[in-house]
Amino acid sequence: MIGLEHYLLLSGIIFSIGIVGVITNRNVLKVLLSLELLLAASNLSFVAFSKFNGDYAGQLIVFFVILVAAVEVAIGLAIIVLMYRRLGTIQADELKELKW
Amino acid sequence: MFPTIDWSLILLELLITMILVVLVVLDLALPKDTKKDWLGILSLAGLFGLIGFWLTQRALVGTTFSGMFMMDSLAWFFKGFFLMAMVFVIAMTQQFFKSMRSRKNEFYLLLWLALLGMCLVASSADFLMLFIAIEILTISLYVMTAYLKSDKHSLEAGMKYLILGALSSGFFLYGISFLYGTTRSTHFEAIQGFVSSHAMAPMTAFALVLIFAAVGFKIAAVPFHWWVPDVYQGAPTPVTALLSVGSKAAGFVVLMRLFFGIFASWHGQWTLVLAALSAVTMCYGNLGAMFQTNIKRLLGYSSIGHAGYLLMGAAAGSALGASAINFYLLGYLFTNLGAFLVIVLFFISSKSDEIKNYAGLVKRSPLLACTLLLALVSLAGVPPLAGFFGKFILLMATVKSGLLWLAFIAVVNIVISLYYYLMVAKRIYVDAPHTTSIIPVSRPMRLLLGIAIVGMIGIGIFQGPFLDVAMTAVKGMYFLPK
Repeated sequence: MIGLEHYLLLSGIIFSIGIVGVITNRNVLKVLLSLELLLAASNLSFVAFSKFNGDYAGQLIVFFVILVAAVEVAIGLAIIVLMYRRLGTIQADELKELKW
Repeated sequence: MFPTIDWSLILLELLITMILVVLVVLDLALPKDTKKDWLGILSLAGLFGLIGFWLTQRALVGTTFSGMFMMDSLAWFFKGFFLMAMVFVIAMTQQFFKSMRSRKNEFYLLLWLALLGMCLVASSADFLMLFIAIEILTISLYVMTAYLKSDKHSLEAGMKYLILGALSSGFFLYGISFLYGTTRSTHFEAIQGFVSSHAMAPMTAFALVLIFAAVGFKIAAVPFHWWVPDVYQGAPTPVTALLSVGSKAAGFVVLMRLFFGIFASWHGQWTLVLAALSAVTMCYGNLGAMFQTNIKRLLGYSSIGHAGYLLMGAAAGSALGASAINFYLLGYLFTNLGAFLVIVLFFISSKSDEIKNYAGLVKRSPLLACTLLLALVSLAGVPPLAGFFGKFILLMATVKSGLLWLAFIAVVNIVISLYYYLMVAKRIYVDAPHTTSIIPVSRPMRLLLGIAIVGMIGIGIFQGPFLDVAMTAVKGMYFLPK
């Protein structure tokens, strides 16, 4: 029988993969993908809690989150395109102009 | 049954949205080669109208939209705060883009969107609503940070802000999901009911830590401060000003709602955590600022330091601590925005933010030099300016709550901060200027600089009425523990 804890475990694993991806990836596109994983993990735990608590607000929240995720990706991709045009690279370690 | 909606509570936000829509249409309708900056003029006029309207809303209290949106004294106070900050930021934008080739009309629209986001943050009564409001604010800030698309620094700052900002909203959302899982609701009221009848469980503690990470990102507290110096330096100066005042204050509204309101009955469990974070934050900010050569970066580190001072009020956990935060932010508004206004005006004529180019500013423009000096000295906390009295009540609240060691660390930090603020002051007043060209300051800008100076000195000398406002804002807050 699959219970709440299995879903939470899965969402925890997805969240951790996202965090590790943001920290270790040098490619900005991959970082953006990892950021999406964070939101996906939250969506999964919202739906799981909603199902097991018998309260439907959690499933409703997911729609808002998907919307916000889409907006964030749109802005992120726009900045990446500008960055590629201006700097000719999408590697995060090339972003080193601003340092003391 | 469809719930009745009280539209009068949300009227300010509706008016902001209406102005936003009018400006969008106007941007499309205006001929492309118009010389006059119509959007800027209308934005300022709209803001003054809104401030007038805001004054009439003082006694408004209530919730609407099924308890998603609320209006209380704290929300009222902070909405006025955001409107006043926006007056400065829009005036800065008008000046800043005069010397730029990029289009500025969209920038005004984004500023209005950010204002809408901040006002909604102050009025949220539900975690879903709070999440959306914070995203409205942050996403418009991402775009504004990367707005100067031909400028490497602006793009880099935008990218860094986006990555770390999205990371923090990921934390926030994951935290909310666990809070929802344990309390079965996202409503502040229901959560407060749960909190007052339960002890803190590991899962709720985990959720709280994640939520605090997101708030800490907004207020620039250690260890969520990594974006601050880079973004402050790279972003267009009006955005830096908005980040340092508006976005930080929005973070503190959330902090107060959470720690003085909803989770107040668990207060004992995080006093030490908040106090430790406050101590580390102020030390990091003030020590980091000592070696900076760029004025925006210096103010970035100083803004981390001020987040540390403000967190003292949160660690104190008393009504006095909350009032001290409000009062301090009020002084910080005039002080920091005055400083950034000088930076914008200086940048227009010399195209530089490096501190070494500020040498001899007093010979080139006494008014700019005087405002910057007052602002720096007020940030450092020298009497009789606003920053002094703000720090004084924060320290008083900390000592009264028994955190004597924290107050001691704060005093040491204030002394350290004097060093780097006065180094800049020395550049302005003592060093010989590289050029002797006069920096022109237009009449409206003089008026605005004057307002900043009057604000700094006025709040410092006549503390009474301002302290009253700050205290009433806390007293009439929703979700105060009984």
